[in-house]
Amino acid sequence: MKRLISSVLAGFGFFQVAGLFSQDMPLTQVLIKGEDWEAVSEGHGFTDGLCTNAYGDLYFSDVKDGTAIYRIDKDGKRSDFVKDIAGVSGLQWGVDGRLYVCVARGRRIVSFSKNGDDMRVLAEEIRPNDLVVTHDGNLYFTMTPTSEIRRIDPDGKMTVVDSGTINRPNGITLSPDHGTLAVSDHGGKHVWAFQIAKDGTLKHPGNYMTMRTPEADPEVAKGDGMATDVHGRYYVTTAEGLQMFDPTGRMSGVIAKPQDANLVSVCFAGPNHEFLYVACGDKVFRRKTKTRGALFFQKPHPAEKFVEPKKQAAEALFEDDPTSIAKAGFEVLKAE
Amino acid sequence: MKLLRFLALICLPVFAADEDYKPGPDAEPKEGVPKGKLTQHTWTSTIFPGTERDFWVYVPSKYDGSKPACVMVFQDGGGFVREKGAFRAPIVFDNLIHAGEMPVTIGVFLNPGVVPPVKEGSQPRKNRSFEYDTLSDQYARFLTEEILPKVEKTHKVTLSKNPDCRAICGNSSGGICAFTVGWERPDAFRKIVSHIGSFTNIRGGHVYPALVRKTEPKPLRVFLQEGENDLDNLHGNWPLANKQMAAALEFAGYDYKFVMGTGRHSGRHGGAIFPDTLRWLWRDWKELKP
Repeated sequence: MKRLISSVLAGFGFFQVAGLFSQDMPLTQVLIKGEDWEAVSEGHGFTDGLCTNAYGDLYFSDVKDGTAIYRIDKDGKRSDFVKDIAGVSGLQWGVDGRLYVCVARGRRIVSFSKNGDDMRVLAEEIRPNDLVVTHDGNLYFTMTPTSEIRRIDPDGKMTVVDSGTINRPNGITLSPDHGTLAVSDHGGKHVWAFQIAKDGTLKHPGNYMTMRTPEADPEVAKGDGMATDVHGRYYVTTAEGLQMFDPTGRMSGVIAKPQDANLVSVCFAGPNHEFLYVACGDKVFRRKTKTRGALFFQKPHPAEKFVEPKKQAAEALFEDDPTSIAKAGFEVLKAE
Repeated sequence: MKLLRFLALICLPVFAADEDYKPGPDAEPKEGVPKGKLTQHTWTSTIFPGTERDFWVYVPSKYDGSKPACVMVFQDGGGFVREKGAFRAPIVFDNLIHAGEMPVTIGVFLNPGVVPPVKEGSQPRKNRSFEYDTLSDQYARFLTEEILPKVEKTHKVTLSKNPDCRAICGNSSGGICAFTVGWERPDAFRKIVSHIGSFTNIRGGHVYPALVRKTEPKPLRVFLQEGENDLDNLHGNWPLANKQMAAALEFAGYDYKFVMGTGRHSGRHGGAIFPDTLRWLWRDWKELKP
């Protein structure tokens, strides 16, 4: 509490002199004119499970027809990273250099070494869909059919950390500082935010982001795979397209699907991790952006300040403005 | 040369720049005017789970407990109580209450909540947009079920239950929040002040003009301030949105006032006219029974 008061007060002191933190994050800050989706892998059944490593290689699965965990390297070449594995719905690299895998069909979570061998089983008899691994080695995963979020701690102990808050918890990601866990609802219209407590439990769920829904089904956005960029923006695949939210939970735009198919997974990969990759039906697509992905196997960091290349006229608007609490907060954090 | 001078004249800005809006004499302490008491507090909410916030309570010197006081709630309250800020609400309250231009009113100045960081190096989850921009009764319930009872208890004051004696004010998202509180709960708050209000699509608030036109009028008194140079961004166009709100309130027959200036997205214009805004808002307060 003491910390809160001091940071808010510090904020007040600063906000007269502070420059404007770009509080509005339109799609133009991310998309590049002339850059469109390009298919990078074709001929699959149902692509899913996109993730990346430090080099920007892309890993993904084909949850319907796949027989391997696939890798697309920097040169765009596809190979089988792990052979003879089927029904994979979620992938993430951990800080320990191992690849963590939700095997939906096998009802278990396993991991592989950086060479794709040395398989270890972390949990069995479960219904995992998607996962995220924090820098301190906690693995959180969604159990969509049972409305649960579970955690496997660094010692391998599995616990239920949320049950019943979200109708069909599906996509799962972190804020760049790993303080907030965000989980999308496949059977509702919200992305929920949880505070990750010091002991790794989840606290204070909030229906922080409201997704755009189809006219025909206004309560169900089909929120699926999620990703985060270094500026703290959240990305979630939905029936309506790839929806983008700013760090304060405000919907900032919908990026069109590459084709009329199920859009279920998203991650930043490729050179500098500045390409958005999506799994959409039988193909994997990518497009270049102006931003970069947050990588959770790297050290947590505060959301980076976005600097518009061209100075906007709006620069000094919040000077001496009592509504600029949000901005004051950003200034405080920058100072830390 | 003459022509040049003429050109220079017509090129001079004929409108006030944002910086030209300044607090007036009613925002300065006046001799012989007793000062109310301002105290600072913190609150952990359950309606907004896990959020913590600072808030301030102003009790006018004239409040003696003999009858309930009117109440006015402010979003982003920290800015409104700042002594050198654009609004200086406690000083304005002192002056106007002393002059009999507004009733004995307890001011409640609330900052937006944050879910504080617990892990080392992590940042707070800012709840301002969720609390202010969402169209629901959640913020109204937060006020009526958590904050106002807390204020009554800790300050040993009685707040009026008459919704005509209860006002709410905010800037930007705090402005649309003020309207939402009145719209959702006219039984609890009927006096609304919005400066540079975000009646735009941050979280769906752009629908209000349409709702106002096709909903049986609610017993609200609404003050809207806006500036021609306000924001135009992904969420909407603030001047157009406020014009739409004003036109809808006019169409539906509301008791409202719309002041359009030339300012930008700041509290300066709203602050400069704030004493007159309060005079308009409370103009018939002597007829009210708190």
